[in-house]
Amino acid sequence: MKSSTKQSMLAAALIFTLAGLCGIALAQDKEAVLKNREALMKGQAKDLGSVKAYTDGKGDLAQAETGAASLTQSTRKIPEVFPPGTGATDSEGKYSTKPVIWSDWNKFLDAQKNAASKADALLVAVKSGDKAAIQTAFGDLGKNGCGACHETFRETLKN
Amino acid sequence: MPRNVPRDAQKLTAALAVIILLAAASAHAADNETIARGAYLANAADCEACHTDKEHHGQPYAGGRALATPFGTFYSPNITPDPETGIGRWGEAQFLQALRAGVRPNGANYFPVFPYPSFTKITDEDARAIKAYLFSLPAVRQVNRAHDLSFPVSWRLLQAGWKLLFFNPGPFRPAPERGEAYNRGAYLVTALAHCGECHTPRNWFGATEPSHFLAGTPAGPDGKAVPNITPDRKTGIGNWSEDDITTLLKDGQTPDFDFVGGAMAEVVRNTTRLTDADRRAIAVYLRTLPAVRSETRAAK
Repeated sequence: MKSSTKQSMLAAALIFTLAGLCGIALAQDKEAVLKNREALMKGQAKDLGSVKAYTDGKGDLAQAETGAASLTQSTRKIPEVFPPGTGATDSEGKYSTKPVIWSDWNKFLDAQKNAASKADALLVAVKSGDKAAIQTAFGDLGKNGCGACHETFRETLKN
Repeated sequence: MPRNVPRDAQKLTAALAVIILLAAASAHAADNETIARGAYLANAADCEACHTDKEHHGQPYAGGRALATPFGTFYSPNITPDPETGIGRWGEAQFLQALRAGVRPNGANYFPVFPYPSFTKITDEDARAIKAYLFSLPAVRQVNRAHDLSFPVSWRLLQAGWKLLFFNPGPFRPAPERGEAYNRGAYLVTALAHCGECHTPRNWFGATEPSHFLAGTPAGPDGKAVPNITPDRKTGIGNWSEDDITTLLKDGQTPDFDFVGGAMAEVVRNTTRLTDADRRAIAVYLRTLPAVRSETRAAK
């Protein structure tokens, strides 16, 4: 075998291996991304739960405040957990992202900022301790913050 | 005495004028009351969602929204009172026939993408109020877009056969022994809010399957999964309390603090405007349904 052929075969093998490794790395990345995303959303659900527990008379105000404060942080981390091209498939989850999230990224950021400002309003309400005000701010964040985003950018793959 | 005659006549005229004005005002008030009732009912029936092309900033109720189905893409018609392109020339009989029998003024049948199989249960009084409301809206001139269907679905005549097989016309029949809330809930769920149009699986012919009423489907609108909302504990919402259901209808929040998205988020924009009593009635009724175990599970 001519050495030039040998060299090109080696090069091809090397490229092949590298590409394969990259593919694995990407797959692992995506798995980690989906895991992080789910953890962020589940954490938000838990925080919302601690606020609701207070207004329902089942939890204390300090925990509600911790939850609301955490929501003002986590709503600002939302864009980080949606790197481009990381929509879930059927086998990867119950929900996926609609591609419009990346084709119209600014619209997504607007929705996220909207949710973040509603989380700020919830924290202000929780600090006041006024249950009626908390309920209003809670409903607004949930329906018009979380819900508005889920309406436009989330799709249900299976139930 | 003769001098008093003109004065009496004046008094009489004034009194008559007052009576006429009062009568006119009360007729007007009755109209406004009917329109307000119609607005509430149209909201419960979610007419605006399908009859508005929100994606392209279309005018409310002027139609044009694309509804993708396994049978092709339907475009909703204009239901504003525009005489040329809307329903402005329809009389009451024509409106009632369209809404409850699925028949157009020219005698042709609607495709059941228009939920007349549910709307057939709407009462006369409610149907008239909905018409009064729609006719109080600004007329929008917008020509209807033809549906994009493949043969043989596109052959409208076939709809007559479909109706013969799958359409059960007739008004809602209350079951008085089950109480007011149950009956109000049943009327809202099965007639006005037409929940089963999305939450009930469909057969090959696109007809909902009565044995799986509200048991969810993996292939709902736009091919998206729709959850089972029968009281099955494993695959439905059997673990939800009445409060859990009313909270979802009011705020879109599930018991595990998720907030619904997709088409249900649109629905919640309407159910949030219902009265507390109506949301409660829906919950009462849903919890009495037979539990159906399904492949599709509700949000856990």
